[in-house]
Amino acid sequence: MSGLEQFQDRNVSQNYYRVKIEPYPKTPWEKFKRVVRKSLKPDLLIGLKITLLEMLRFNIHTIQYPKEKLPVSPRFRGIHRLLRLLESGNERCIGCGLCEKICISNCIRIDTKPDENGRKIPTEYTINFGRCIFCGYCAEVCPELAIVHGQEYEYASEQRAQFAMKEDMLTPLDKLKEQKEYPGFGAPTPAADKLIKKTPLAY
Amino acid sequence: MIKFSIDGKEVVAKRGETILQVARREGIYIPTMCYLSKVKPIESCRLCVVEVEGVEGFVLSCQTPATPDIKVRTDSQALYTHRQNIMQLYDVNHPLECGVCDKSGECDLQNKTLEFRVDHQEFSAKDQYRPIQNWQYIQYDPSLCILCEKCVHVCNEVIGDDAIEIEYGGYKSRIIPKDAPTLDCTFCGECIAVCPVGALISSDFKYTSNAWELRRVPAACAHCSAACHLYYETKHSSIENPQPKIYRVKNEFEFETLCGAGRFGFDFENRAQKDEEAFGRALEAFEKADTIRFSSFITNEEALILQRLKEQKGYKLLNEEARAYQKFLDEYAQTSGKTLYEADLERIEKSDFLILVGSFVSSDNPAVRYALTVSQKRQGSEIINMHPIEDDLLKPVVTKFVKYEVGSEEAVLGMLLDGLLDEEAKEKIGKKWFEELDIGYLSAESSVGEEEIADILERLQRQHRFKKDRCTLILGEDLYTHPRAENLAKLAGLIDRFTDFEVMLIPPKTNSLGVALICDLDEEGGEYTIGYNAKGDFVLSALGDGDLDMPALNQQEGTFTNIDKRVVPTNVALPYEGYVLNDLAKALGVSDKEYTIEFTKELPQEKGYKPIDFDDLPNEFFNDGTEHRGYRLENKKVNLSRKNIEPIAELPEFNGTVLYRCEPVLQFSPFTHKAHQLHWPCALVGSYQFSVAAKLEDGDEVVIHSKFGEIIKHFRIDPKLKGTVALLGTSDLGVEYFAMQGNYRYERVKITKRVEP
Repeated sequence: MSGLEQFQDRNVSQNYYRVKIEPYPKTPWEKFKRVVRKSLKPDLLIGLKITLLEMLRFNIHTIQYPKEKLPVSPRFRGIHRLLRLLESGNERCIGCGLCEKICISNCIRIDTKPDENGRKIPTEYTINFGRCIFCGYCAEVCPELAIVHGQEYEYASEQRAQFAMKEDMLTPLDKLKEQKEYPGFGAPTPAADKLIKKTPLAY
Repeated sequence: MIKFSIDGKEVVAKRGETILQVARREGIYIPTMCYLSKVKPIESCRLCVVEVEGVEGFVLSCQTPATPDIKVRTDSQALYTHRQNIMQLYDVNHPLECGVCDKSGECDLQNKTLEFRVDHQEFSAKDQYRPIQNWQYIQYDPSLCILCEKCVHVCNEVIGDDAIEIEYGGYKSRIIPKDAPTLDCTFCGECIAVCPVGALISSDFKYTSNAWELRRVPAACAHCSAACHLYYETKHSSIENPQPKIYRVKNEFEFETLCGAGRFGFDFENRAQKDEEAFGRALEAFEKADTIRFSSFITNEEALILQRLKEQKGYKLLNEEARAYQKFLDEYAQTSGKTLYEADLERIEKSDFLILVGSFVSSDNPAVRYALTVSQKRQGSEIINMHPIEDDLLKPVVTKFVKYEVGSEEAVLGMLLDGLLDEEAKEKIGKKWFEELDIGYLSAESSVGEEEIADILERLQRQHRFKKDRCTLILGEDLYTHPRAENLAKLAGLIDRFTDFEVMLIPPKTNSLGVALICDLDEEGGEYTIGYNAKGDFVLSALGDGDLDMPALNQQEGTFTNIDKRVVPTNVALPYEGYVLNDLAKALGVSDKEYTIEFTKELPQEKGYKPIDFDDLPNEFFNDGTEHRGYRLENKKVNLSRKNIEPIAELPEFNGTVLYRCEPVLQFSPFTHKAHQLHWPCALVGSYQFSVAAKLEDGDEVVIHSKFGEIIKHFRIDPKLKGTVALLGTSDLGVEYFAMQGNYRYERVKITKRVEP
């Protein structure tokens, strides 16, 4: 059995077996004998053998947080990122305000205006992380994949308003190459191309 | 009465009513894209089709009048497919930019596309290069335009600007300014309002907010006496500034029309905090004062508070402009027998013969202008405009313009009365007055020829060969401040009483009618004056430049008495944290109310007001277009005066340089001027003829030596203007503006070129 099948198999009773349990001591003498037996057996040292050996070898497996961090799942919903277009470096956000609308804890606010080319641009973008519940709706609704979840999971800070401004979330221009898409809800599925109905074009 | 059924529901139609009109009235839904109830059916969308039993094919419900016993079906599979196809065609090459489009969320195309489930496209057309057009207050994006033609029709049939048209070219068709490289119109912005998609939008509002974020506050426009219904739409100013701000104004465009001042001049609020020191000084000033001077830019409730102050504290109330109007109404009542004039805007729309005297309506009261346009376009009415200056904007609808000399209004009304009355009526009034009437002299001095009066009468005869009931005489602001206003009012009253004409006396300022009815105004002031939006020794100001701040009219709740003699409610669009008039009245022991609106039910019933609570006043339009705002004042009967009307006095002469106080279109008062979109200086505008006579050139800086002191203005020649009278805009003069309103609008002045110091 592999994959989903093992979870779909509801007929699990056949794998049951009885656990052998030695009889419980009844007389005080029997009880005393068990204490002596358990104390003098080297079970504890056997259990600690590997630990002690590794300690002596200085091969420590503990993650030294916060100096060390484990990689999180790519679908983890951490502190938001605002992405740029890879080719031009322009901000992806078109200022449609859907994230602001869909946000169930009402923590996103966006200011927009027309820029010198007459396009709508966000002039300021804030997320109040004191209120954000990291539900991921904003990333899911975003038509441009502009707002996504990052990998950052350390939400504690000295100031409530930290990480809340646009410049903190926006990919810096010099780090454009390192920009990663968020593969969670909102990202195109592997079969996206096949599902799209193409609009006829008269060119 | 025509009985028929829609979707099995028995309905009754009036003669000439279309199926769609009945359906809307009855609350039955028929989808439309191009239908606009205030213009003739446009018939460009064909979405409103219905099935009629026994009739082959579909019927256009917007233009088909109901006939007895037909059975109409508004929905079937065939209709659905038909409508779906139409929507699919509308969506061809429509830019998929809903994300940034201002209209998204309130877009007819978006709604109907979703309603008819157009989720894919089978058609295509070669896309065109269609750049966005910038027309000052308005932006036009041809690629979003669906060519429903609502804007063109509303501009032509309701506004009367006729400034835009369709450039036909198949798929290339678009809206263009008519006979001009760029849009040159009055910028009422009604095209923005009616546009079902984001093609026509306000340049100022563009990309600043989504439709769904805005909070909608139903209110009444505070700029002129039409007090049109509108919605202020507010939201926080920005991320840094949580203070709410008005982003735009919308109106119920299906049923009423808003002018540009209402639409673009919305941010005249006065942001103020409670200033206890200033409040203390104000109370001291009230102790000292014996007079309160105020303007008519106040609510009925505030007027009542002022009246209470007068009754209990003995202040004199001064408001020259409302006083003039009040006297005019009183004199009018003495000869007409009614406390109020009869006509309203709806009456103008339905009239087929109108005479307009003494008003520059295109800037004084655009609502009247729109009503005139509607009456002209709908039933081809005769509109006679009598004024010393020809109003260029009224030209397309006015069928006859009669120019009279400045100051000769009395002669004009006298000649009209003489012409309109029959012998029997003349007998009743007193034969002597008519015998003494020296038509030759009047005609010569006023330069209104006898043949012109004869022509007016002939036109009246022609119009009324068949039926004789819809004539309206509209009188304007020029007359109320005329030196002979009392006699003018009596003449107007006689016209109302003895002819088929109904009279309208356009209230000069926002709530002049309310003030005239509620306040007992004095002629002369005392020694120490408190000015409320007016000049005084201590000034309470909603413009923010006085000694104590007051809320502007978009920060107040209360009621106005408008041109339709309707008491209309307005609401708080923006919060106000300072002191209001009621706080002062409370501190003076005159008011025991916590809120100003508690006065609404105490408005004087003997003047026709009703004891209704502010919160019970309706403020909406019904589906069939019936206005359901506030209530109408009762027009009460009064005893006729036994005094004879005075003979017409010798006509004054206005020679030399004469200015006419007339705000440019879009401006009404310092409040419109304060709004950021309308914050431009008002020029002195004259014709070529005037510039030659006054020895001025286009662009000159001039000093006007008037009785209000020296006014510095920029002079501009308007090639469309004729005659020797120049127009002087005063909205940019601040509090000085209010002082001028009580005077005759024409003034002889000296103009010199300004020398740079």
